[in-house]
Amino acid sequence: MPSQSRRQFLKRLALRSDELSATGDKTLVCIFLRGGADTLNMFVPYADDTYYKIRPTISIPHPTSGKGKDSSIKLDDFYSLHPKLAPILPIYQEGRMAVVQAVGTDNPTGSHFETQDQMEHGDAFKKTSAGGWLARYLRARFGNNLTPLSAVSIGPMLPESLRGAPGASAISTIDDIRIKAPCENPAVVAETLSALYGSEIGLLSAPGRDTIKLLRRVETLRAAQYKPAEGANYPDSGFARGLREVARLIKSDVGLEVACVDLDGWDTHFVQGSVDGLQAGLIETLGEGLAAFDADLADRRKAVTTLIITEFGRRTYENGSLGTDHGRGFAAIIIGDDMRGGQIIGRYPGLNEAKWVIGPAGLEVIYDYRSILAEVLTEKMGLPNTSAVFPDFKPQKIGLVNGSAGLKKTAYSAE
Amino acid sequence: MGSEFSRREFLAISGLLGCALPLASCSNLNGYIADRFGGGIPEKVGVTNGQEIDPAFHLISRAGFGPWPGDVENIKKQGVNNWIEEQLQPEKIDDRLCDFRTKRFESVFLDPATCYEFKREALRKDLCRYHLMRSVYSKRQLLESMVEFFSDHFNIYIEKGDCIYLKATDDRSVIRKNALGRFRDLVLASATSPAMLVYLDGKENKKDGPNGIPNENYARELLELHTLGVDGGYTQKDVYEAARCLTGWRLGSESKRGTAFFDPGFHDDGQKVVLGKKIPAGGGQKDVEMLVDIACNHPSTARHIAKKLVAHFVCEEAPPALVKRVAKRFSDTGGQIKPMLREILYSNEFRASAGSKLKRPFQYVVSCMRATGADTMAGDEVLEFLTRMGHGPFQYPTPDGYPAEANPWLGTLLWRWNFAFALCSNSIETANVSLDSLCAAIGLEDLESIKKDPERLFAYLSGRRATAQESKAFRAYVSRRDFKDEKVRDELIGLILSSPAFQKV
Repeated sequence: MPSQSRRQFLKRLALRSDELSATGDKTLVCIFLRGGADTLNMFVPYADDTYYKIRPTISIPHPTSGKGKDSSIKLDDFYSLHPKLAPILPIYQEGRMAVVQAVGTDNPTGSHFETQDQMEHGDAFKKTSAGGWLARYLRARFGNNLTPLSAVSIGPMLPESLRGAPGASAISTIDDIRIKAPCENPAVVAETLSALYGSEIGLLSAPGRDTIKLLRRVETLRAAQYKPAEGANYPDSGFARGLREVARLIKSDVGLEVACVDLDGWDTHFVQGSVDGLQAGLIETLGEGLAAFDADLADRRKAVTTLIITEFGRRTYENGSLGTDHGRGFAAIIIGDDMRGGQIIGRYPGLNEAKWVIGPAGLEVIYDYRSILAEVLTEKMGLPNTSAVFPDFKPQKIGLVNGSAGLKKTAYSAE
Repeated sequence: MGSEFSRREFLAISGLLGCALPLASCSNLNGYIADRFGGGIPEKVGVTNGQEIDPAFHLISRAGFGPWPGDVENIKKQGVNNWIEEQLQPEKIDDRLCDFRTKRFESVFLDPATCYEFKREALRKDLCRYHLMRSVYSKRQLLESMVEFFSDHFNIYIEKGDCIYLKATDDRSVIRKNALGRFRDLVLASATSPAMLVYLDGKENKKDGPNGIPNENYARELLELHTLGVDGGYTQKDVYEAARCLTGWRLGSESKRGTAFFDPGFHDDGQKVVLGKKIPAGGGQKDVEMLVDIACNHPSTARHIAKKLVAHFVCEEAPPALVKRVAKRFSDTGGQIKPMLREILYSNEFRASAGSKLKRPFQYVVSCMRATGADTMAGDEVLEFLTRMGHGPFQYPTPDGYPAEANPWLGTLLWRWNFAFALCSNSIETANVSLDSLCAAIGLEDLESIKKDPERLFAYLSGRRATAQESKAFRAYVSRRDFKDEKVRDELIGLILSSPAFQKV
């Protein structure tokens, strides 16, 4: 069995007696932008003239374009932010958001399914490791000490990344954590179960009592009507509702280790739009949701890390139907406490696609996506090493966390 | 058995099913068949009410997936030993009703090349539903239990590579074919099974040279998991030598897609030494047989398999004396599985262990449906409960198979409870129960009698009388519910299926 740290072990022992058998004290939230998100329009390389040349209708206006609210928001001398991402600008400025450019896989197929699958399994191209990377992380870190709320995905199905995780739950809302008994007044059922498990000795006594405690805790939460923290204005979107449930679970201390939330629809081949339109709508949903989530968890920042990835970026140039086709590299976003923020990490590969010969072109992939995932696990989640999660892969040091060694800050330059 | 039917009737329903298969109302048809030809809930079902779990109840709970209504009485009538002997000859048990119910999962009967014409999703569903349905309905319960055991022992994860197209063939011609046969045949069949060649990279295992390098993945698991066991006394050199023996097995293409063949060009035909035994040069495709014989004849293998079987049937901490006796059976009979099972099922250790093991989620779900005599087509809703509990069939990623121990499954109680309530209130679309018939069969004709004697339901479902505390809990429950509504009965039965007693076996 994978080892757990001695501290974790002692902590659990201490908790066993009268608390829920809660495990870690940190939560990893994984947001997957499905469909291949065009991150070039989110973190805009405005200082590269080529960007405007090859994206005549879908580019995001220069920060000094004088278009007011439609101008992108200057981040530094090279990059600017899509105006619809304004809600997360403070997170960037406060040094709680690491953005890494030119991240991706070695998958040349351009297939959504294959590339998502590969990433969720934490693999290299054509390798199929056992189970999802998050499942391997959970097993490596906690062994079998997981509760029904240790790993949760929002939605009807468990994502591939959680495949093989013991007890991972797919829920649409916290309301799923209840006994769905046939009659009114489920308290009678809970009390009967409590009596049955309470008189049990051995094997099932602790898990039975834990589960009933868990239900009561969730019941209390439900009854109390969840009230997000002040300033957390969740918009009316499925994505935001999902994040709200995650925040609620985190704040209820039920031992949530990993939460997965999807945001679909990024496959913008056709009329992608610019500051408004198809992609802008998604970007708005993402930005508003993340900002509300961040505000909601203002007093839990040390304990929560949010990872935002997609299966691939898109072509650097606009296609004939005012959209973009499948590309390669993308910018990964990691929000957490004390990140190496206020900059875009990683070399800017330029927009020249000529060097790509196999598979779809796009932004060059310089950093293997697993280096990002691995560093999140070691630096933010406290996993000593990632050999059990990414076997046969030696992560490159990126430097996501403030003050940690990693990629040197490079001057961006347009080629 | 009361459910025999004539050959004429058999043909009649065969035709009926044949033309009705494409229709959506199949689950009703299944119920209809159960009503007409048996296999449903008998009119009268006895209740075992002793202080300890009834031995017949214990037997079918461990050697199978728990009693179907009426099973316990039938086993008692027949005699426990006769039941064991009957189960050890599954080919003599008439299982045509189960065959009917599972016939519609057509892809599980096809060869790999044909399976490639199906969508992955369709294959996954067919395979999982077939597996679940056979566990619920087969009268060859011991065989199904061994199929579950060996599906874990020779685990294949259907999401890896092309395994989904190949697992049905593996299930048929490796696992089911040999589950009660000779262990050595099982290992040999598995070694060149297309699904295993994909799952553990055997098809990539090629002679050292410009065209390839040996891939040790399968060879290692063969020794570590399938035969000797991790402490079985093999070395890294043995793994390498075993991998050399296994070079050259590949998978065909086009009409032979998914079929294994031996390619001498990729085989390392030099001499090998495995576990101190020489395999002479020039053995070609016979190398694998010699290798399997050497591994299976090693005393560690007898011990390893005996220990796993005892842990499966008796107790997680396998009693060493019993393990020794079972291992001796293995060695004395050249690895025959039946003599080992006899040794276990007739043992005092087996009898004394009633009610001490935790059901894994799959067994829990199946035993709930058997106990209530459910009419299920094992659709997505049922499978989703298993997935939620982390126990979807053939969904375990690593080659060690789903854990046999209780510990990893202790976090699944909430979903078990919700399954029980959903089943009993008929809110699972593809699993219907008739609790009226069930209660009537055990002598609880109306709601009033259920309210007066909830212990009788408990005893039927648990194989023993309720303890004072259990009784108190159920009494408290019925006193707080108004028994005007059948929903209360459904809830009570759900509660019994949720109680600690029913989680255990």
